Amino acid sequence: MAEVVFIGLSLASVLLLVALGLAITYGAMGVINMAHGEMVMLGAYTTVLTRIYLHLDILAAIPLAFIATALIGYAIERVVVRRLYGRLLDTLLATWGVAILIQQAVRLELGASFFGLHIAGLGPGLQNVAVPPELTGALTLGSVQVNAFRAFIIGVTLLLTLVTWLLMYRTSIGIQVRAIMRNPRMAAACGIDVDRVNALTFAYGSGLAGVAGVMVSGFKTVFPDMGTPMVVDAFLVVVVGGVGSLLGSVFSAGLLGQLNGVTAFLANDIIARAVVFAFVIAVIMTRPRGLFSQKAR
Amino acid sequence: MPGKRTLDYAAYAVFIALILCAPLVLEEFWLNRIAKFLVYGLLGVAIALSWGYAGILNLGQGLFFGLGAYMMAMSLKLASPTSLQQGSATPVPDFMLWNAEPGAKTDLCCINHGSFLWTPFQNPWFGIGMAVLAPVLVATVIGWVMFRKRISGVFVSIIMLALVLLVRLVVIDAQPLTNGFNGLTDLGNLTVLGVELDPYEVVTYYVVAGTLALALIATRLLVETRAGLILQAIRDDQNRVRYLGFDVPLYQVFFFAVSAGIAGVAGLLYVVVAQFASPTFMDLSFSITMVVWAAVGGRASLLGACIGAIGINIIEAGASETQALVQAWRAVIGLIFVLVVLYLPRGVAGFASDAADAVLSRFGRKRPPAARPASERVAS
Amino acid sequence: MSAVLTVDGLGVAFAGFKAVDGVSLIIEEGELRVLLGANGAGKTTLMDLISGKTKSTQGRVHLRDTDITNWEEPAIARAGIGRKFQIPSVFRELTVRRNLEVAGCGKPGVFANLRFGLPRAARRRLDEVLDLIGLADEAQTVAGTLSHGQTQWLELGLLVMQDPKLLLLDEPTAGMTAAETLRTADIIKSLRGTHTIIVVEHDMAFVREIAQRITVMHLGQVLAEGDMASIEADPRVRAAYLGSKGIH
Repeated sequence: MAEVVFIGLSLASVLLLVALGLAITYGAMGVINMAHGEMVMLGAYTTVLTRIYLHLDILAAIPLAFIATALIGYAIERVVVRRLYGRLLDTLLATWGVAILIQQAVRLELGASFFGLHIAGLGPGLQNVAVPPELTGALTLGSVQVNAFRAFIIGVTLLLTLVTWLLMYRTSIGIQVRAIMRNPRMAAACGIDVDRVNALTFAYGSGLAGVAGVMVSGFKTVFPDMGTPMVVDAFLVVVVGGVGSLLGSVFSAGLLGQLNGVTAFLANDIIARAVVFAFVIAVIMTRPRGLFSQKAR
Repeated sequence: MPGKRTLDYAAYAVFIALILCAPLVLEEFWLNRIAKFLVYGLLGVAIALSWGYAGILNLGQGLFFGLGAYMMAMSLKLASPTSLQQGSATPVPDFMLWNAEPGAKTDLCCINHGSFLWTPFQNPWFGIGMAVLAPVLVATVIGWVMFRKRISGVFVSIIMLALVLLVRLVVIDAQPLTNGFNGLTDLGNLTVLGVELDPYEVVTYYVVAGTLALALIATRLLVETRAGLILQAIRDDQNRVRYLGFDVPLYQVFFFAVSAGIAGVAGLLYVVVAQFASPTFMDLSFSITMVVWAAVGGRASLLGACIGAIGINIIEAGASETQALVQAWRAVIGLIFVLVVLYLPRGVAGFASDAADAVLSRFGRKRPPAARPASERVAS
Repeated sequence: MSAVLTVDGLGVAFAGFKAVDGVSLIIEEGELRVLLGANGAGKTTLMDLISGKTKSTQGRVHLRDTDITNWEEPAIARAGIGRKFQIPSVFRELTVRRNLEVAGCGKPGVFANLRFGLPRAARRRLDEVLDLIGLADEAQTVAGTLSHGQTQWLELGLLVMQDPKLLLLDEPTAGMTAAETLRTADIIKSLRGTHTIIVVEHDMAFVREIAQRITVMHLGQVLAEGDMASIEADPRVRAAYLGSKGIH
């Protein structure tokens, strides 16, 4: 049973890793970023490219992926999202268009495939990433054998959650973000540079997705469409947790991950996902504000 | 001087005339493809009704399309001469035979648990009826729960999104009944009232085009009724409608179910034309793609959304000569979509409507403005 | 004269705080009653209780002889209470005429409304209302483009269209220019006698213009009731308003 719980925990940590960035962009900025999954995908591709061109492993890819996806996120905010604040469903639709563009950019190797050129590591095919030897194999925690890479993911997730929490609640930029969350116009009136803070927040959220992509590449095949199911899952985590509540996302990722893990153990993976969806529907029907939402006024 | 409304009706008339006359110039192969696109146009109508008129962005419209498709496909599977158990009077789908437990009775009643559910589908009218009824029933139940609880906006979108993915997984998991990932393929032709609807025959095209024309007209008339007016009022300000004494959820459920029914008919016709049903109908990307069509065509216009769906698919079919072009076209669609949301939120139809306004006001300026309200007061 | 609205010991508490505390009122047929009181006196909450937006925790509300306490909002509206909100709410994407048509649909159900156009009587009423609220020239204007004052009048028109037994108007002149306020006073005065109306208002010039009988609320309770002169002379009212510059 401990192993089932551990698998649930590692599922939850991946969910949380992807959801963290979304929790910030959706919760803080009121943007449903459907291209978030593509940030995960780009993070995963960063790992692939890092290995091919720099001959470096997953650990080195983490900062590179963060920087690359943060920059792309910044650009998306400046060009598209900035014009859509306050139109929640339109942000969803526009970023879906962005997501298609990014997928096609990878699939068409940035357009090179039109000229018969091939960029190794990109294209429509599947890519696999080797996990460095020190992260393969199993760790023994007490009486339980756990997969080392999964344990590593859990560790990274905990670390990033902590960093995000500190950023949001212990720094001046965090206070500004939370002020914008509550009332963007009032925040602007108080002298906060809302434009700049929004762009940085969005870039940070995208960067987190990039790191999540690096982690995911270690145990999943990498391909251009991989992001879509992830953004859906992460989005549901945020909604169930309660929009605007970081802690809520943590709990709800844990809850959904365990629900998925346990059901998969009792039935199968397909049923497990179905049960998660059913649970999410039930939660939204009964508590649209989410399970752990802050009391809104 | 024709009014705005006249122009609007003229657009409907031209469109319907065009799709009904298409067989005069197109050969069968293209008719079959266009018929598929007309089915997508039907989906555009369903989306515009729920999104444009009711203000409900349904990100799970594929659920209703998929339900309609599967109901019809079950009947057509049982009507297929090639994909049934050979040499027996009782039809049993081939995939059920392949997966049957040794010694199971080869009959629909009991070849596996649940196969009895297929029995009534031997009658094609049952399949047709269920293709409309099942989506309407599901929409009524889920709508009743959602709208009674005053769930609105993005939460409805999320619930429908989760629901379509949930049903997709259930369909995949119910492999013995649905053939799982592979879907229902190798289907027969639908035969009703003695007419066999071969997908490559003109008669099938006419059935699809006629249904689309009817659906367009009927839906347009529906939103012109008082109930349609109240629906638009609900979209603009639910609370105000409530305090005028109307039961808001009743209206939302009714139109949600109508939209689901149209999507179900689209699923039904798609199976007749394309001859397969697959869980991919309930992929998230398909449901969002429908929304893209409607958004580009014009979310607030039934005809606009319909033409958007058809137009995008015709261009896509034109680009499908080479694989690289298909992929590039997908990128272009992504770009168009971003641009439409940013700069043309009412889509091409909204743009056309503004253009018509500009032209009309240019010609109508000579009339003194005072004449207008007075004449209206008498007339209405 | 008979009572249109009888409020008896009505109250509600939010987490122990009594926003409205045992209010009793009787509004006679054809009366125009003004509710006065400082911010937080419970005026809007009282309207919420009567119109069903908030459920009461004590007391009863009768419309004529019908006990409508804690009914659902649409049921109360159908019983004959029309509510105008402080922030004007109209159907922004519909024209002025279509807005009024919505209000004129009469029957509440979906299937009863699966028909085109309004009945003849309702159409005649619609033209009267258009004239009454002064928007006859704007009949084809989309409501979202109306000025603030016109939007307020349109919402008033939506209510009048339904010919309710009782109109609840929450600050109908909020945010209006002086000219618009006067115009609003004219509209409300022209409804006086044929309609029974409760108005919440802060604008004393406006109140002097329209008021017959005034109820002053303070801390969730009825402080005083009477005509303009007696209210202005009432020492309790003066005491309650002392420090907030009195009422002028």
